[in-house]
Amino acid sequence: MNPAVGLAAFLGVALATAAIGFYGLRISRTTGDFYVASRTVRPWWNASAIGGEYLSAASFLGVAGLILLTGTDALWFPVGYTAGYLMLLLFVAAPLRRSGAYTIPDFTEARLQSKAVRRVTSLVVVAVGWLYIVPQLQGAGLTIRISTGLPSWAGSIAVVAVVGVTVVAGGMRSITFVQAFQYWLKLTALAVPVVFLLLKQTGADGSLALAEASSNPTGLPAAGLYQTVSLLVALLFGTLGLPHVLVRFYTNPDGQSARRTTLIVLGLLSVFYVFPTASGLLGRVFAPELARSGRPDALVLLLPGKLVGGVPGDLLSALVVAGAFAAFLSTTSGLVVSLAGVISQDLLGGSVRGFRVAAALAAVVPLAFAFTTDSMALAGSVGLVFAFTASTICPVLLLGIWWRGLSDAGAIAGMLTGAILCGGALVSSTIIGSAAPGWIAQPAAWTVPAAFAVMVLVSRATNDRVPGTVTRLMTRLHVPERPVATKRQLR
Amino acid sequence: MTRVRVTAPQSGAKVAPTRPYHSREAAEDSDVGQVFVRSLIRSQLRLAVVVASGFLLVLAAYGSMVALVPQLAQMRLLGIPVNWVILGVALYPVIGLSAWLYNRSAARNEARYRDLVEDK
Repeated sequence: MNPAVGLAAFLGVALATAAIGFYGLRISRTTGDFYVASRTVRPWWNASAIGGEYLSAASFLGVAGLILLTGTDALWFPVGYTAGYLMLLLFVAAPLRRSGAYTIPDFTEARLQSKAVRRVTSLVVVAVGWLYIVPQLQGAGLTIRISTGLPSWAGSIAVVAVVGVTVVAGGMRSITFVQAFQYWLKLTALAVPVVFLLLKQTGADGSLALAEASSNPTGLPAAGLYQTVSLLVALLFGTLGLPHVLVRFYTNPDGQSARRTTLIVLGLLSVFYVFPTASGLLGRVFAPELARSGRPDALVLLLPGKLVGGVPGDLLSALVVAGAFAAFLSTTSGLVVSLAGVISQDLLGGSVRGFRVAAALAAVVPLAFAFTTDSMALAGSVGLVFAFTASTICPVLLLGIWWRGLSDAGAIAGMLTGAILCGGALVSSTIIGSAAPGWIAQPAAWTVPAAFAVMVLVSRATNDRVPGTVTRLMTRLHVPERPVATKRQLR
Repeated sequence: MTRVRVTAPQSGAKVAPTRPYHSREAAEDSDVGQVFVRSLIRSQLRLAVVVASGFLLVLAAYGSMVALVPQLAQMRLLGIPVNWVILGVALYPVIGLSAWLYNRSAARNEARYRDLVEDK
């Protein structure tokens, strides 16, 4: 790939991000603006922003790479990433919006009236956020190495720097605009090359010439039933506990609009995931050597240049590189904002200055991790973060919203059980490597039920610790907002 | 839109007053009001579980179809293997449809609750 093209694409995205960030800064005035955009963001904007924030390196590069590697087995990843939002819609979207809390720790503290629960939740949220930022930075390293020939660390540092500047300067209000812009940029960046390539491969009779699509370039065995089920448990129930996803729902004006927004998000995600899937399919036919050379995640970046030569190929490559950086920037900034919210409220007193210090802290720690660890398949490592979230935050949210009997002791015991079991499995599978048995490599199918079971049993045993405010709070979570008498009606 | 200045949300976490206190909320604190609230929560949970199970059944059906009928990989739809079409494209409309049905029914449950409470 032409290094100048890659560099220009990165600089273009960085400048556009910063410009929209500063435009947002001018209208961001209060601390409320700074945290959650004062809850005045419209559903379409908000849905685009949620989509922009959610579609990370794993979706943009990783899904196509994994499809190239494992074929139809990997199709469960985009399905799971999307269906996770369906679960979020069904079980948490409206009640969580109605809770009126800003962050997950705010919610658990309000629900269980316990500072200890708040602290444990905060720790889990920070761990999830850091784990999730690392693959973004590794993806940035990969992209910069492939597109410009610069060393990987330059990409990671560039992403942290751009995110740091936008978050510290603008907070959530500008982030909303930046994220919405980045959804559409990512969609365009994947869709244009894929449509172009598909048209090029379409025969006169209107069907694609994809003779070898079913071939298996790596000869990897197909995933077993357990692996697939466990992966789906992680993706379906992990999404609803992701900290950067949850904080977005507070920007809806009420519960109903939170549901409407989620419906739009589902549409946006469904449209998006058609394209990495198509990329993966094209890659299996035209670039199987990438799978064998151990660089499957680079497929999306290299495919246009490989199939289309000359200036059009360079332009398509530039577009894809721009989209990839949009993915790293948007997910990382979303995570940094939500982590900074948690860190600053719990450690630094909740001021705007504390938020800025916390944002720096939230971005720099995973940078150190990204430098010291090797990158694995991006979609796979993000899938493991989903498993961790599904084993820790998901149970406390679901039971907190739907079950009156949850006690603070139960919540803490369940979250710790999930964190220890799932974290332990993830660490040991990293140590063992590819020889790790399936139940350790993909632990969600047993760690999620275990966390739920411990949470329920300990809550039952400590029935007397259920807070007296539970009736009040459950009413608040589930009763529809009174239709506010708008100015029009009053007139 | 009015702007509300919010400082450290920690204290606000305990039920921030985003809406004014209405007589309806007083009714919700009463025994009868709580019966209505509990029945609303039960019907919303039942709805969510039904939609989720329905979706998971479809998911399982698609998955087992692809796993148990290997011939699908040989068949082509516009040149694309049919097993890819099933998992890579055909599941998304099911997700969207489930979400749309849920939204409609959840809003209906809430409207029914509103009618019950506000008619008094």
